[in-house]
Amino acid sequence: MRQVRADEYAEFAAARTGHLYRSACLLTAGDTHLAEDLVQETLGRLYVRWGRVSRADNPAAYAQTVLTRAFLTHQRRRSSRERAVDVFPERAGAGADVPLRLTLVEALGRLPAKDRAVLVLRYWEDRSVEETARAMNASSAAVRTRCVRALGRLRELLGEDIGEYARP
Amino acid sequence: MPVDQTHDPFEDRLSAALHQAGGTFDTDRAALVAAGAVRGRRLRLRRRAAIAGGAAGLALVGVGGALLVPSGAGGSPQHGSVAATGSGTPTAVAATPAAPVVSADDMVRTLTKLLPKGKVTRGEARGTDSPLPPLAQVTFDDGKGAGSLSLLVDRVRGGGETFDPASEVVPCPNMEQPDSGLDSCVTQTLPDGSVVTLIQGYEYPDRRADTKAWSADLVTPDGTRVSVSEWNAAAQKGEPVSRPEPPLSIQQLKTLAAANEWRRVADSIPEETRKPSASTEGSTGDATSYEGRRVLAILTSSLPDGAKVVSSGNEETEFAYAVVNDGKGESYVQVNLQHNMSDAAGALYGSGAETLPDGTRVATRQGPGEKGGEGVVMWTVDTMRANGMRVVISAFNSGSQTTAATRPEPALTIAELRKIALSPQWEVLGA
Repeated sequence: MRQVRADEYAEFAAARTGHLYRSACLLTAGDTHLAEDLVQETLGRLYVRWGRVSRADNPAAYAQTVLTRAFLTHQRRRSSRERAVDVFPERAGAGADVPLRLTLVEALGRLPAKDRAVLVLRYWEDRSVEETARAMNASSAAVRTRCVRALGRLRELLGEDIGEYARP
Repeated sequence: MPVDQTHDPFEDRLSAALHQAGGTFDTDRAALVAAGAVRGRRLRLRRRAAIAGGAAGLALVGVGGALLVPSGAGGSPQHGSVAATGSGTPTAVAATPAAPVVSADDMVRTLTKLLPKGKVTRGEARGTDSPLPPLAQVTFDDGKGAGSLSLLVDRVRGGGETFDPASEVVPCPNMEQPDSGLDSCVTQTLPDGSVVTLIQGYEYPDRRADTKAWSADLVTPDGTRVSVSEWNAAAQKGEPVSRPEPPLSIQQLKTLAAANEWRRVADSIPEETRKPSASTEGSTGDATSYEGRRVLAILTSSLPDGAKVVSSGNEETEFAYAVVNDGKGESYVQVNLQHNMSDAAGALYGSGAETLPDGTRVATRQGPGEKGGEGVVMWTVDTMRANGMRVVISAFNSGSQTTAATRPEPALTIAELRKIALSPQWEVLGA
């Protein structure tokens, strides 16, 4: 990478890495090692494509999309290796085995990966349904469905007054 | 907050809770940034170096330090070492006494002279009086650790015959395969028409040892081949790594391969020991299978009349450039080709972009260059077909992006760039 571009990239990475890492922590439901790995992967891809990323209207949003896709790719690979993951989110059942005090991050961990990605994009990144769908290579209808389901599940796990569970 | 028809206060609370929870995570950002850049560099190298179908496309280093090169007919999938081919050919030694003999000592002396300052220890060497191609192998220490270096000169065509050196040079493999065992491979055309492939890989593609093997394989238009390889260990195999990288940079290796001295050596190789002339049939077979070369071919064939190509080059995929001169100075023109970019269309083509009736999007940019050349302007036409294939062509008012402007405007107008970017010729690469 030439110097000017390298400087631009470095500036962008320095400014956005903290946010990307926090997003990754939410996506991975608190798996900080995986989160670091995903952020590195994201930064690596941005580095390679920096010429075009830097010309994008919103490089920060582009970075978030790259992160989301890296996460979903990781989940897909993992679930093809470990079948059990597919059934894991259902295991939490209808509430009987929910601990008394489940944190938000723990609750996120009980959702399927794609539902989590929808919630993070919609309510952490404040993206519209359409933007979320584009970032996830999914249809808007699928995103809406997932969103409704994920919200219902969180309500079930955390109750209406979600705020008091936000602390990890 | 995303606005939806059915707004639910739970969504507001969730958003606030996520921000609160997310904000509690922190890490060593500087370390993460650094690790990300490292990964980016690795990813870039890997992209440039992935081999199609494993090692078959390109065998890097052979016995006796010879590069493995396409043997016999250019473009044939069969690969063999130059040395082996030579030894397998019936040889009638030194029947042309007119050519001055280059001795093994001369080879080592010439190599030593062309190397940077350092300690040179002679290894195996052959002159033009051998039935095998001339060779010099040395251990070279610039003070930062000994590296091994091997250089071989051969003739791949008889004198006076014209042919395309690109059909004979070691081709860079298709780089889409992830586990190539190579860090980098690029083929370039030099101003004199020589074609050189620069390879940065490993002695063992499976990396059972950390020994790196870097090579330059250069073929001149008159049929001289110079293959030079270097290792970051005192021997190619079996010696521990003595330094992080081989002693010469890949650019230095290229310069070494291109030195005129080797052409004189090649001229001294007796006719009878030269490799049999390769059949011209199918000689472009390999070349056309490499996307980067096709990108270059489309670019150069689409240039306006009067724009003479001074030099050109390409990566294995996606990228090619040509330096053209229309009589008013050099102008660097580059093309990037990308596939399946539809997902990024929104980010790449803002509301100002034009959409053609067939769904192709077109954006035009005229601005300063990106790479620091003084006064350099960059004119770009950025297009994306409905199928997600993106063709971006840029022209500069200088022979390179990093050197100062040599003319007020690029050699191609925006209209000419647009015509090239929208050329139906690209469709063949869009599959």
